[in-house]
Amino acid sequence: MKQEEYFTQLVREHKSTIYTVCYMFSQDEEEVNDLFQETLINMWKGIDSFREESKISTWIYRVALNTCLLQERKKKRQVAKVPLTMDVNFFQDDDANAAQVRMLHQRIGKLGLVDRALVMMWLEGMSYDEIGAVMGISAQNVGVKLFRIKESLKKAKSDE
Amino acid sequence: MEEMNFEEMRNQFAILKDQLKKQEIVSDRLLRETMKANRSKINSTKRMCYVCAAVAILVTPLNYYTHAWGLVFSIATCLMMLLCAVATYYIHKPVDNLNFMRDDFATVARVMARFKKHYDMWLYYCSPTIGIPWLIWACYEFAWKNAPEGVNPWGLTIPVIVGAVVGFLIGIYYHFKAVNAAKDILAEIEG
Repeated sequence: MKQEEYFTQLVREHKSTIYTVCYMFSQDEEEVNDLFQETLINMWKGIDSFREESKISTWIYRVALNTCLLQERKKKRQVAKVPLTMDVNFFQDDDANAAQVRMLHQRIGKLGLVDRALVMMWLEGMSYDEIGAVMGISAQNVGVKLFRIKESLKKAKSDE
Repeated sequence: MEEMNFEEMRNQFAILKDQLKKQEIVSDRLLRETMKANRSKINSTKRMCYVCAAVAILVTPLNYYTHAWGLVFSIATCLMMLLCAVATYYIHKPVDNLNFMRDDFATVARVMARFKKHYDMWLYYCSPTIGIPWLIWACYEFAWKNAPEGVNPWGLTIPVIVGAVVGFLIGIYYHFKAVNAAKDILAEIEG
């Protein structure tokens, strides 16, 4: 399979994971768009190293989170902006599903970047080992951090 | 109660995933644009340092041939600029080597902390140690040792000082631009 075809297939298969990470680190639709495109560029640039990875989800999370963290947001994009093909706008739509998603976005958005990443991967159903591999910490440490995050989320909920 | 909160979050996450599954999200055009992109990392501070060092190394011999500066001072200036370029390369290398595909958050944080520490060391220790003696020497060379006869040396000292101040301010601007970028990343990682 040609590299282009492989990349296309990979992106189409994992588009929702990429979108989820970008959405949780953005304040509006335009920022999601920017981050999504930036993540795809970084994935494309590292497609060779990906072939060596064992876990697709770990690799995608790593690239997406590093992109969200390190991208030079204030700088002008170097590639033409191409809008995402979406019928929904989780930031603006009024239906019940969008409202639920927005509530999740608000809850997670209150956390720091590392905690946000941890919770997202936990919700995604990744194992502590996989989360640790992305974050550069031990599985045990992941457990401790998640416990603390749950406590702070619980407190935030009771304060609401 | 606690489990209910997280159950609710899991449900909300499932709704998000379900909604996204129904979406196309990625168009062919977006994929084509992505695969066309060959983005190079922009680092204005590093580029500025290299440009300044290159210009100074090229201009210094001119000052020597026009008898504005002596040979020893010209060589010392070239060596100083070369040292600055090498130091810039050394400080920026780990940041340039950060790999989006391989490095975890802990590595990114470590590299950024080291980058900031090196920049601070350069500003507070290296720059005064190298810059102040060089400036005094430059004033002596330009305004006193090689000044045309009949010209007040203090009158020639002022442009050197003004040039140094302007250079210092530009340097400070780029210094804090780089350091603040590193600080922002560290602050985000540390929450």
